[in-house]
Amino acid sequence: MTTPKTFKQFWGLFTTLLAIFSIGAVLLPIFLNAHPWPTAARDYLAMRGNTDSGATNLVSAIYLGYRVFDTFGETIVLLVSVLGTMGILTRVESLVDASSDDEHTIGTVSGFSLSQEKRRSHTLRTHLLEVVTGKIGPIVLLFGFYVMLYGHVSPGGGFQGGVILASGIIFLALGNPQEGSSGISNPEILVRIETVAFLILVLVFFSGFFMGNGFFGNPLESTQVPVGYIVLLNAIIGLKVGTSIGFMCIAMMGGGY
Amino acid sequence: MVERILLLLLFMVGFWGIVGKKHIIKKIFGLNILNNAAVILFIVEGSRIGTNAPIMEQTGSSIVDPVPQALMLTAIVIGVCITALSLALAVHLYKISGSFDIDTIRLKVQDEA
Repeated sequence: MTTPKTFKQFWGLFTTLLAIFSIGAVLLPIFLNAHPWPTAARDYLAMRGNTDSGATNLVSAIYLGYRVFDTFGETIVLLVSVLGTMGILTRVESLVDASSDDEHTIGTVSGFSLSQEKRRSHTLRTHLLEVVTGKIGPIVLLFGFYVMLYGHVSPGGGFQGGVILASGIIFLALGNPQEGSSGISNPEILVRIETVAFLILVLVFFSGFFMGNGFFGNPLESTQVPVGYIVLLNAIIGLKVGTSIGFMCIAMMGGGY
Repeated sequence: MVERILLLLLFMVGFWGIVGKKHIIKKIFGLNILNNAAVILFIVEGSRIGTNAPIMEQTGSSIVDPVPQALMLTAIVIGVCITALSLALAVHLYKISGSFDIDTIRLKVQDEA
């Protein structure tokens, strides 16, 4: 922050500081709250969570069992966010095409562009980047699948594994020397995987109907392996989150639409 | 107590980034810092009644409350969505005005109006 010279700059600094310290004063009691945290939910979950859902990891027992409606809304928010981002970025691309103004072309849109003629010339695209990301990508993908599929017994789950999957997809997209040599960094395939994963997610939520447990109900509840439902949902959500975040990043790097 | 004061400071740093900075990318950074301060506050609150991770490998141990952790999982994903949308909007504004500075953008909009 530069030292203020005119009255207007001084006034701007004063109002900013006033706003920051006001919000600090308002939030101080919330942050320093010493009210005892209720233990009822923790005790209930510690007692019943494992037997109800079969998951050792109680967090996944909550977000794929007790509060699965929340997770459903969250996946919809992710879908809407991808749609919005794509809508805005597509408009940007059409603006660029209309004006064909190279001076105002932004680095993030065309810099790491996946199109063949641009990627050779960009200074940040070195051989080091291509070699390292191309080699590390499949390992990151494997780790992502591990985190995704073992979310019920260890820290992890669909969302976490999905984000690791997205980083693997981005690594592969950065490390590909030839365009289109790897289908997993192809935006069209990523979008298809995402939409199909969302459709399967909704169908799986309906599957509880046939066992008499209702929407969101666990169809395997009365069987020996109730945890199968959580593993299945983790896998679907991981695929959906991984492809949608990977797709957004690839589109921001200039691939895609 | 110390960690709570540090979290409040982190929150205020994020808020300063939003209201005090002129650069749009720095504003988005501030939004992320603010989001993370709220997430860590919930995790700290939930960890007041236990010490172990909520993974039921051994029974009878005092675990932290898993409910705030499951809620924060949602908050983190929503934060990613907000970041992506705001970055796309920033790119759009840059395309229109040629700048990330909000004063320049405002001047540009006033000129066009």
